[in-house]
Formats: sequence, structure tokens, C-alpha cells
Amino acid sequence: MSKYFISTYFLLCCFLGYGQENSEPNTKDPAVYKQPYGLRVGIDLSRPMNSFFKPEYTGLEIVGDYRLSYKLYAAAELGNEKRDRQEDLYNFTTSGSYIKLGVDVNTYGNWYGEQNMIYFGGRYAFSTFSQTLNNYQIFDSNRYWHPDGFANRSSEANEFSGLTASWLEFIVGVKAELFAKIYLGGSVRLGYLVSNKDPENFKNLFIPGFNKVTDGARFGIGYNFTLSYFIPLYKKANTPRKSKEEPPTLPQEN
Amino acid sequence: MKRIIYFGFLLIFTTFSSCEKDDICVDGDTPLLIIRFYDAENPTEFKSVTRLRVVGQGKTTTVDTFADRSMLDSIAIPLNPASDTTGFFMINDSKDDDEGNEAGDIDNLTFSYQTIDTYVSRACGFVANYENLDSNLTMDAQNWIQNIEIVKPLVKLEPEETSAHVKIFH
Repeated sequence: MSKYFISTYFLLCCFLGYGQENSEPNTKDPAVYKQPYGLRVGIDLSRPMNSFFKPEYTGLEIVGDYRLSYKLYAAAELGNEKRDRQEDLYNFTTSGSYIKLGVDVNTYGNWYGEQNMIYFGGRYAFSTFSQTLNNYQIFDSNRYWHPDGFANRSSEANEFSGLTASWLEFIVGVKAELFAKIYLGGSVRLGYLVSNKDPENFKNLFIPGFNKVTDGARFGIGYNFTLSYFIPLYKKANTPRKSKEEPPTLPQEN
Repeated sequence: MKRIIYFGFLLIFTTFSSCEKDDICVDGDTPLLIIRFYDAENPTEFKSVTRLRVVGQGKTTTVDTFADRSMLDSIAIPLNPASDTTGFFMINDSKDDDEGNEAGDIDNLTFSYQTIDTYVSRACGFVANYENLDSNLTMDAQNWIQNIEIVKPLVKLEPEETSAHVKIFH
């Protein structure tokens, strides 16, 4: 029996390994703080909520960000919105999708172990959509022919499809770790329209992702409330730039 | 401190962007048809109509854009945007007889046109413009209107523009 053992030992000589290969002294600081890096994906809570409570609206937005460095995150939103709107004399439906790509910069100095964010960011956003003019009446300040209303033009709905718009977004927001890896966030967005292809004889009064378009202005306001899940991929320590870390030399006072 | 500035900026933008002119229509309107009255004998001279009254066909009230039974050489009257013709009873020297009926000289004038619905703005929505304006005067025993000339067949609201679309000679 022991013969076999000995033979096996000889055989195992072929698989020699060195557990202590790296014999250099360990130069790493044992107290180094490695932060998790990875992908955070989630959904906007406000859009499903609005879809539930407002019969004229349905929408969904998926959000995601990926940590690039200590402060910088690549971020994106992908969404779809459909909204009916009754103005005084006309009714229209906007339906379409959008994508927003950009970065977030974390300005919050986290304590040890925290991964929260108070951030500002920028996005380039693009939307393709269609506008449907459901019905309209003719505005006429003279009430002689139609004293009780306005002349109706409610023939059939007129759809303008293949419309596009793009805009830049400035964002201020927060993300806080609610439970382990679960984040609750919110952001306010100021959009600036770069391009906007209007339909013929009508206007894009609402753009999915951008919200209400104001006459004679290029700015729009939006917001979202997100619930997201963090998928850690790797850990990395922050390597502070030495030059910036030096304490300022105080002037000598005598 | 930086954060407060960012939020401040956002607050300012939000405040300003909510002040809109989107709620009141100031950018457009469905135009009125401008008619000027000229002297049939001297076609370059304006000639006022005595005690002019205009009643839309199918209506029981007079046109509300000028003082009824006044002496005028220029009027602006509304066309019906829901139709492609609008008829008017143009009454010269309007007065009531003993029984309260109209005793003036009534001419039956009908305008035909095509309406073009034009989007103006969020608050206004759509207004009607009229093109290919034409007129038809019903001949009777005694027409006070001698001749009608369409000067501008496109009836459209133009700011600071009050020149006539139609000249009526009498």
C-alpha cells in the first residue's frame, strides 16, 4: 500500500508549485481603501407612477451608470413616453422614445464605506417620436358666426411621424444607498434644445424625454426618481494626485 | 458652497422658464375681411355708405365689428371659418318702416373662398386664413352696389396692414 503512496509522491513531483513565489517584501499599505467599481442599473419611479395616476400618460425609463474613476461616472437613460394633451382648442398625442448619454461627476465626499452621490452631470439626448393631432377648433376672436364656441375641425386624426429632436441636459441629483447595493436617487434636469424637427403646420409642443417645449424658448425642465441596483465588478483604490495632496504652506507668523 | 451655487442656478432657470406667454393668445387671429367703399362715378375716391347695416345670412343680429347704421367708407367683417361661403345682406340707408321691418336698400352679397387652417402657437392653436376669395352679388331690381373688385384674394392677418381686400363701388 505504502508503495503506491511513494509512487504517487514521485508522480506529484511533476506538479511542483511555489506558494511563496513573490518573495519581495509587501510594500502595499494594508490600510488602503478599495472602493467598488461596477454597473448600476435601475428604473425611474416617477414615470410608472404618473402612468398609473394620470390616464393621459404612459412612460418608462431605464437608467444606468458605470463608474469610470473616483468621481466620474458614465451614465445613460433610455425611455419611452406617450402623452395626450388637451389644449384649449386642440388635442394632440405625442409618442416616442429617447436615449440620453453622458457623464455624472460626484461632488460628495463619502465617509469610509459609503457610496453615496451628490452629483452634477451632462447628457446629450436624442428622441424620435410622432405627433398626432387628434382634433382642433379654429381660434377666432370674433364671435359673430360661432357665438357659443369655435368652428370645429374634428375630422380624422392627423399623424406626423418620423420627427426627431436632440438636446443637451444639465443635471443635478443625488443617489443614496438605501440598503446594500440598492440605491434611491433623484435628479432635476435642465434641457437645452439643439435640434427640433417640427411637423408641417404644427409644432412639437412635447418631446419624449425633454417634456414641454415652450414657445420662443429652447429650455425644458425634467426630473426623475430612480431605484437602482449596483452590480460590483471590481475594486480599486483611489490614487490621489500627490501634488494636490500636499498641505499648503502656512505663512510664518512671529 | 459650490453646490449651493449650482442649485441656485437651477432654481433661477426653473423660475424663468415657468413665466410663459403660452396661456394667452397674442400671436395670431382669424382675420376679418376688409371692405372699402368707393365712388362708382369716380373710382379713385372713397364714398361713404349712409346708415350702413350688414347682417350675415342665417343670422338675426347685425355684424358686431362696427357701429350699426353708421356712415362709413371702410368696414371689417368676419367670414365664417366653418364654411366655404359666407353671405351678407348689405343694407344701404338702413331704417325701419312703420311696422318695424327693414326699409333700406338690401343687396345680397356672397363671398366664396377656401379656408387654410394655420397653426400659430400653443395658446392660439389654429386660425383660419382664406384664399381664392371671390364674390357674387345677387342681382335684383335695384342694386345699390354697382361693382365689386377683389383686390387681395388672400385674406390673412398681417400686422400693421389695413388695406382692403375688397373694393365696393356704389
